[in-house]
Amino acid sequence: MSSLEIPSAFATEDVRRTVLDNGLVVLTKEVHTSPIVTSMIWYRVGSRNEELGQTGKSHFLEHMLFKGTERFKKGQIDLLTLKNGGGNNAFTSHDFTAYYFNFASDRWEVSLEIEADRMVNCAFEPDEFEAEKKVVIEELKTGLDSPWGLPHQEEEAVAFKVHPYRNPIVGWLQDVERATAEEQQAYYRRYYHPNNATLVLAGDFNTERILSKVARTFGSIPSGPPAPRMVLQEPGQRGERIVLVRWRSKVPRLAIGYHAPEIAHPNSYALQMLGVLLSEGKASRLYQRLVEREQSVTFVSAEYGESKDPTLFHVRAEGRGEHSVTEIEASIYDELERVASGEVSQHELDRAKHQVEAHFILSRERTLDQAILLGQIETLLGIDYIDSYLSRINAVTVEDVAAVCREYLKEDNRTVATLVSDGSEQDGEAEDETD
Amino acid sequence: MKPTELGLRRTFDVHSHVLANGLKVLLVENPSIPTVSMNASVMAGARFDPESKAGLAIMASRLLDEGTTTRTSLEIADAIESVGGAIDADASFERMVVSAGVLSKDVDLGLELLSDLTLHPMFPQEYVDKEKERTLAEIASAQDRPQVVAGWAFNELVYQDHPLHRPSHGYPQTLERIERNDLIEFHKKYFVPNNALLSVVGDFQVSDMLPKIEKAFGSWPAQPISFPTYPQPVRQTGKRTKYIRMPAQQLNIYLGHLGIARTNPDFYALQVLDTILGGGAGFTARIPQRLRDELGLAYTTFASITMTAGLDPGRFVAFIGTSPENMKLATEGLVNEIRRIIEEPVTIEELQDAKDYLTGSFVFAFESSPQIARFLVHADVYGLGFDYIEKYPQYICAVTVEDISRVAKKYLDSENYTLVVVGPTNATD
Repeated sequence: MSSLEIPSAFATEDVRRTVLDNGLVVLTKEVHTSPIVTSMIWYRVGSRNEELGQTGKSHFLEHMLFKGTERFKKGQIDLLTLKNGGGNNAFTSHDFTAYYFNFASDRWEVSLEIEADRMVNCAFEPDEFEAEKKVVIEELKTGLDSPWGLPHQEEEAVAFKVHPYRNPIVGWLQDVERATAEEQQAYYRRYYHPNNATLVLAGDFNTERILSKVARTFGSIPSGPPAPRMVLQEPGQRGERIVLVRWRSKVPRLAIGYHAPEIAHPNSYALQMLGVLLSEGKASRLYQRLVEREQSVTFVSAEYGESKDPTLFHVRAEGRGEHSVTEIEASIYDELERVASGEVSQHELDRAKHQVEAHFILSRERTLDQAILLGQIETLLGIDYIDSYLSRINAVTVEDVAAVCREYLKEDNRTVATLVSDGSEQDGEAEDETD
Repeated sequence: MKPTELGLRRTFDVHSHVLANGLKVLLVENPSIPTVSMNASVMAGARFDPESKAGLAIMASRLLDEGTTTRTSLEIADAIESVGGAIDADASFERMVVSAGVLSKDVDLGLELLSDLTLHPMFPQEYVDKEKERTLAEIASAQDRPQVVAGWAFNELVYQDHPLHRPSHGYPQTLERIERNDLIEFHKKYFVPNNALLSVVGDFQVSDMLPKIEKAFGSWPAQPISFPTYPQPVRQTGKRTKYIRMPAQQLNIYLGHLGIARTNPDFYALQVLDTILGGGAGFTARIPQRLRDELGLAYTTFASITMTAGLDPGRFVAFIGTSPENMKLATEGLVNEIRRIIEEPVTIEELQDAKDYLTGSFVFAFESSPQIARFLVHADVYGLGFDYIEKYPQYICAVTVEDISRVAKKYLDSENYTLVVVGPTNATD
């Protein structure tokens, strides 16, 4: 039996969790290696909270939070970031929306002022809203021009009939087009409250001093009514679902989704191991079979990611040469059957465990990465999850892997989206060179 | 909050050694987390590929981990993955880098594999055949991405006969011509210790690490080495345009021309210019501010001349991805901003903001061991010196409004540029 030598609690051992009276959760972790501070704020709102006809609201809101408040006018947030030599960005997922600043540690506290202010004072000036709508639509189109944009979108839309994980995070084009500043502001008021947020600070600061500053900056923001509960549940799937997407490419691409449980579900750890031993690294099963032996794909991936509600275990493959999608699918399914019938060796599983362990450590060197881990897990579940994470991974047995493969990665539980050529010709060139 | 003028920085000691065979070794102790990051860099890349066998260097790099004299491809993968490490070989136009990342307890294995892949690759015929087929398939796949297609076409027009006109992985017809023997010869010629650099950063002590490195790399024999020569690229004197039709949502537009080498003394003034024109934090630079924030033409738009500066001159590139109806507004918008920075001096405030940004954010380039290991290679290749961390803020702070005007006039051109448009276009210039 493999034993993982580094407990995952190392990621949380110096973390202090403080809850302000208004409900804001504050996670602080001092890291003095570099003179840097990352500050992040996480809201428990993402595309899972969006109703039909209102999709894309969480993501659009993320854009609007850079468009200014009464105190920090349009452009000021970026300008302050520039003047202070920092970086900022934000991202939206199914389950959350997160914003971050990276600054040198002698000037980072401006980020606290900005986050506290835009938690409640975001301006929804109609002209600004309409201008930003164009940017969001261009972002949506960039996604559709990516070869994986459509297969991924269709896979989720077909795999989920009821649960909002069916909707693209950026939203459906028509919903974005008809969005209004008023509706967007109402959505903001519903979800942006201290009691629906987590502030994460990681880096070169003094915790005591900074906690009192946080209390002064955020403490006066009143808590809001509890965010509406998302009550939709996906009914069980009874049979394979197949969706074809016609597109301009002649390269076949395959996106397969299997319904799988939520974060911290007892089976979630074995599913993570399954993803790793199927496709992580050149020694992995699907790599060895499809890339190495059959040479039928340029790449293949299998992944289970943690989410708040039951999610999908994704398998992706990009076909090549004369190999048909049917042939690639057959090999993937055959490999899954082998795993389900108990073919995985102890050595394979141990290797996968070490990959997870090392990744957990190797990918946490920057303060931003540490803040992301803490913020994401706190938002989904609570950081205690991290403490026992590697020991739960370590407890997974070869039988567990076979069992979850049988239970989840089966025909009746899968949705298969295939990208096939629409017959269009490309590379028509018109050229004019003068020099 | 007034930024400190020179910015905060992380300091570390660089231990520099040269083994008897000429291998340069650069070490930095970084005990912050229990990992070690190592790079073996060989100073040869796709720019040395013969035109008829373009893609040779990249193919060689991708075959380094597909079998050595004592290990099969699968044995290499199994060995490194079993300790949760990663080993990877990659090539650019300038150099080949074998990099490994391991937990510090596995440093011996990491060094052993790094040495084995660098010194003893076999280039098995079976894998040569596989790699050709796979690269061909990847080229076909990449052709589905309009921005990639636009970038390739842009380089062809900007560099003409210079090696950088090619995609670094070559073309289908040149890949076909590469034989196993070419790869063996490439390796024999360039993979010599006197043409290599080893950088190791992480949780170790220099006194322990040096004997390990001596053991892993000491027996690598030195050899005389020569490099192919080729003429310097010439900046265009007229306009070049190319439109490639692709059924897509957006047009991907590249506009620009030949840029500068990393060793150009005006690099720092141009970095400040980049920050004002098309980079910086968020959407503060002129191009994203005007074309994204004000006009809503794009999600992605930027410009830079320093980003691609290397041993050879890089490119000055302005990019925008936009809906087809915005074609005219978008290209005119890019050209207007280029013209404006050539013709009008930037404001004192723009200059100061850009300097504060560059000196303040410099610290983020040295946060992790892999970043520091990469910096050591850059510092050596471009002759930056290991006191670069102290000097960089001084270089930036010395830049004046007049410098920006001078370098804008010298290195940017709002008339004689290459324009490539890929997407749903019917335009012919």
